[in-house]
Amino acid sequence: MNDIKILLVDDEEDFIRTLSERLEMRDLKSNTAFDGEEAISIVSDKEPDIMILDLKMPGINGMEVLRRVRKSYPNIQVIIQTGHGNDFDEAEARQLGVFDYLKKPVDVELLVERIKAAAKAMKLKDSMAAAAFAEAGEHETARKMMKG
Amino acid sequence: MKIHSGTVSLKTLELKSSGSYYARQKQLFVLVVIIVSVVPLVIISLTASHYYKKSWLEKTALELSGLAGSRKEIIDLFLENQENLLSGFAKLYSLEDLRVQGNLEKLFRAMNRSGVIVDLGVIDQHGRHLAYVGPYKRQLADKNYAGAEWFAEVMRSGRYVSDVFSGYRNEPHFVAAVTDPARTWIVRATINSELFHSLLASAEVGPGGDAYIINRAGELQTPSLLGGGTLSAGELAALESKDRSSVRVTDNYIYATVPIKKGDWILVLKTDINTSLAEFYMARKRDMLIIAGASLIILTVVTLLVRSMVNKIEEADRKRMSLNNRMRQVEKMALIGRLAASVAHEINNPLQMISNQAGWIDDLLDDEDDKHLKNYDEYRNSTKKIRGNVKRAGEITHRLLGFSRSNDSERKEIDLNRLVEDTASLLANEARAHRITLEYFFKQGLAHVVTDASQLQQVFLNILNNAIDAIGQDGVISISTRDNGGHVVAEFVDSGPGLSPDSIKKLFDPFYTTKTPEKGTGLGLSISFSIMQRLGGDLKAENRKEGGSMFTVMLPAN
Repeated sequence: MNDIKILLVDDEEDFIRTLSERLEMRDLKSNTAFDGEEAISIVSDKEPDIMILDLKMPGINGMEVLRRVRKSYPNIQVIIQTGHGNDFDEAEARQLGVFDYLKKPVDVELLVERIKAAAKAMKLKDSMAAAAFAEAGEHETARKMMKG
Repeated sequence: MKIHSGTVSLKTLELKSSGSYYARQKQLFVLVVIIVSVVPLVIISLTASHYYKKSWLEKTALELSGLAGSRKEIIDLFLENQENLLSGFAKLYSLEDLRVQGNLEKLFRAMNRSGVIVDLGVIDQHGRHLAYVGPYKRQLADKNYAGAEWFAEVMRSGRYVSDVFSGYRNEPHFVAAVTDPARTWIVRATINSELFHSLLASAEVGPGGDAYIINRAGELQTPSLLGGGTLSAGELAALESKDRSSVRVTDNYIYATVPIKKGDWILVLKTDINTSLAEFYMARKRDMLIIAGASLIILTVVTLLVRSMVNKIEEADRKRMSLNNRMRQVEKMALIGRLAASVAHEINNPLQMISNQAGWIDDLLDDEDDKHLKNYDEYRNSTKKIRGNVKRAGEITHRLLGFSRSNDSERKEIDLNRLVEDTASLLANEARAHRITLEYFFKQGLAHVVTDASQLQQVFLNILNNAIDAIGQDGVISISTRDNGGHVVAEFVDSGPGLSPDSIKKLFDPFYTTKTPEKGTGLGLSISFSIMQRLGGDLKAENRKEGGSMFTVMLPAN
């Protein structure tokens, strides 16, 4: 599991730092971003596998970040973790294809469980894609994908 | 955080101290109608009868006075006639002629055709009876009148008419006497005053009326028609003016008086007002009865009319009031909902921090050597409790978010009967455990409803949970569905104790609960109410006459 790249995005710095350390204690490495701009630059820089995203943030808000990420990096699994979400937000987020939508307060054990589930789904998707490429004879691409 | 800017009074509107206000209105209406209808009726009747009586009195007084005048003329004429006759004799004949018995008798017969002359006598200037014709010859044979008052009077003035007296004869009569021109002798006639009686009796003075003649001393010259030989002091006082004609109205009588015989006598005609007006009084009594009857009818009709009118007004007020209260409830819920959702949002972040920091401590404790930490177990216990309570607070804030659920939630056509039954089946086990029977009365072929099934299900669950808690043990919950003009209705009736008046008022207020904190947050019905408002429907709760409470869910049909 320690090869999964996680990005934590939330404007509550204390919360994010502590959460990052706690995830590390559970063998999950993560980067942190404290606002939308920072999140987008890290995404383009480091291409994380999984992003934990808050919706309400100063500047570019979570929903906008989500929209851009889904457009440019559809393979990143996004888990929303918010205290402000209403049904409307949840419906929109799910429509944009988030892996899950969690309402704060979220216990870290639940978050870890969802991260692992997202990773597994990502792997499954990758392997299915790889299988598809293999079947199509593009073995090089398939091998590359399996490695990723 | 967006907060509704309007102010909402949480006070429920009450009907204006109900009973007494409307009772007062009824009394006021009835009073006004009585004043404008019955009072004029009474006034008209009273003034009409007053004026009738007044004009009757005036007319009667006039008639009586006319009657008295005509009677006076007759009597005066009669008296004058007698006097003239006698004085004619005195001039025509000499004393010597009359002293002859046969001559006097001839005169008597000539004079007495009308039969009013009782006797005729001739008296000389010394008072001696010289001749006499009449029934009392023996008694009067040697009578000397020299000392009699009338004798002196006639000798002085030449003619004289006496008052009525009974004299020696024991029947009422009066005397008319004249002297010859030389005043040497007197011819005297006794006249029966019975004649006056018939004259007066023929005066139409009405029932209870009277007619008589008195002299200046107030002594009766003719008997009163009503009998009685003397007048009462009261009656005498009533005949105030004796010197001229007058009419006087007392409480009970009208008196018309007129002086006769040059003012020696007074003719009195008297009419009994009460007896004469008996018919009028009867008519007035009948009028009064009719008015009383009419008033009674007016009063009854008005009372009934006013009662039904005021009752209708009261009913309309009540409806308006309950509608207003309901509008307030909806407004209040909308405000509280928005407030609750905003607060919940703001609280979730700190809760997340608390949970995370407590978790962090927990994580760090994993790294500690528990031998070195004296209170290691206490720390563990404490963080566990913190996380547990954060979880509990989180559940509440998540429920509060139910108030601000968006309207775009999934709407699709639902089968209301099935949705109700499916929801109830979720609670079937719990109901069975409390020995509560679920009964269904579904109307088949209900109108179509397009709505959010999961939110509606949440409403049904809340109502059913409450019903089970209300019953406690042993009972029935019956659920029925029906169409109601553009709406589809589901009714949940339980056999529990019903809602207290306090509960009915606050039922839909958030955090109002009759349950222990472990069993309920007091948000269920509150959220259900706001869900039904959002879905364009309504939720009502009431007590049934048969006992237990009834929750009615209404949804617009499509």
